[in-house]
Amino acid sequence: MMIWSFDLKFKLRMIKRMIDEDSRRIEGFLKNINVESPSLLINRIANYFVIEPVSIEPIDIIKRYDHLIRTYDTSIRRIVQEYAGNVNHYTRSLLESSLSIYGVLNQIYRILRHYIIICERENNYPLMQYLVFIMPQILRIINTYHKALDSFLSGKPIGDGAGPLVALKLIEMGEVVSKKIVDETAVVEVRVKDRRIFVVKAEGPGSNVGKPGNVLSRLVDELSGNVDLIITIDAALRLEGERSGELAEGVGAAIGDPGPEKIAIERAASKYNIPLKAVIIKMSLEEALTTMKKELYEACERTVEFLWRIINESTHANSTIIVAGIGNSMGIPQ
Amino acid sequence: MIYQQIDNNTIIMIILFAILLIITVISEFRKRSRLVEYVTRELVECSICKYSYEEEYEPGDFISMIKGTCPKCGKGVLKIRAIYSVEKK
Repeated sequence: MMIWSFDLKFKLRMIKRMIDEDSRRIEGFLKNINVESPSLLINRIANYFVIEPVSIEPIDIIKRYDHLIRTYDTSIRRIVQEYAGNVNHYTRSLLESSLSIYGVLNQIYRILRHYIIICERENNYPLMQYLVFIMPQILRIINTYHKALDSFLSGKPIGDGAGPLVALKLIEMGEVVSKKIVDETAVVEVRVKDRRIFVVKAEGPGSNVGKPGNVLSRLVDELSGNVDLIITIDAALRLEGERSGELAEGVGAAIGDPGPEKIAIERAASKYNIPLKAVIIKMSLEEALTTMKKELYEACERTVEFLWRIINESTHANSTIIVAGIGNSMGIPQ
Repeated sequence: MIYQQIDNNTIIMIILFAILLIITVISEFRKRSRLVEYVTRELVECSICKYSYEEEYEPGDFISMIKGTCPKCGKGVLKIRAIYSVEKK
């Protein structure tokens, strides 16, 4: 038990060093944009929490969840604005995401420390053994978030931006008819090869995931349901043994939110009986959160061709199609 | 004497354990040496003549950002076509 305890404490110290390094990097970023008390802002956001809605009573849980997510987003934005003043939209979005990453790391560290202390105090060796066994997995997650901070502080496109990147490539292929931003989500109408396509993606190039579900749902209502096909494109976690950049198609809404956005897409499609298809680009968690690798960029180019094949097979000339590129639009405009 | 109490089986066990320990340590070091470093590059392309080149990423750059006029044809604009990470050579 002593050896296990020593091993766990050693790894916990390693995690602490990573967190301290991340804190210093965010502090440096904040000082560059003239924030007077960076550590106050970092500590405030790091301890910010969201209490999940009551699930034992499922009625209107999606509405409640959506409300909590929106309140969380608005609150974080207000706190950042209060400390950082009038920084531009782009810098503020990078800062918000970086602080969220720091918050996740800090949360994992505090939970681990809590369990290690309990194990030692109560001589709970089965729990300690379990911690020793799952530690490599936890360290991998910690390392991933630690590496991800670099991309978020400098605004580089990440692997999760595969969906928005395919959406941008589709916009660039055609003639733009109209463009609007609703709820930090861009809706761009383009004419591509006899098709009327509405491209939905998070507003870029800041770090942002937008509200693609709700915006898509409103768009379908505005079009009175006259939509022939809805396609969602998203990055998906690959299973071990699968190749990064592999494409797969299916049916349903490819979106990894806690629920409100996904259900909005499903409800809009089923309300008007619109076929709902999905394309996923497979990658690991590390690839999804760190700067997009060249292989994934090439996979995005292949996805555009793949998307056209699906559109040609499923629709005819002059059809109206909605393509939603789901993911973080950091470094990817519209 | 204590070594007289150790039988052959125990000696074999100790040797096997030592070998296992050495293999574990070596494999751990090999794993660490496999860690690869990545650098971020951007692919800049001319909108008309498609002349393209790769360069180092600069913080604040984003895809579709205009980087100037094409030095080859002099007419097209140079746009960032892609930003990606590649293995450091």
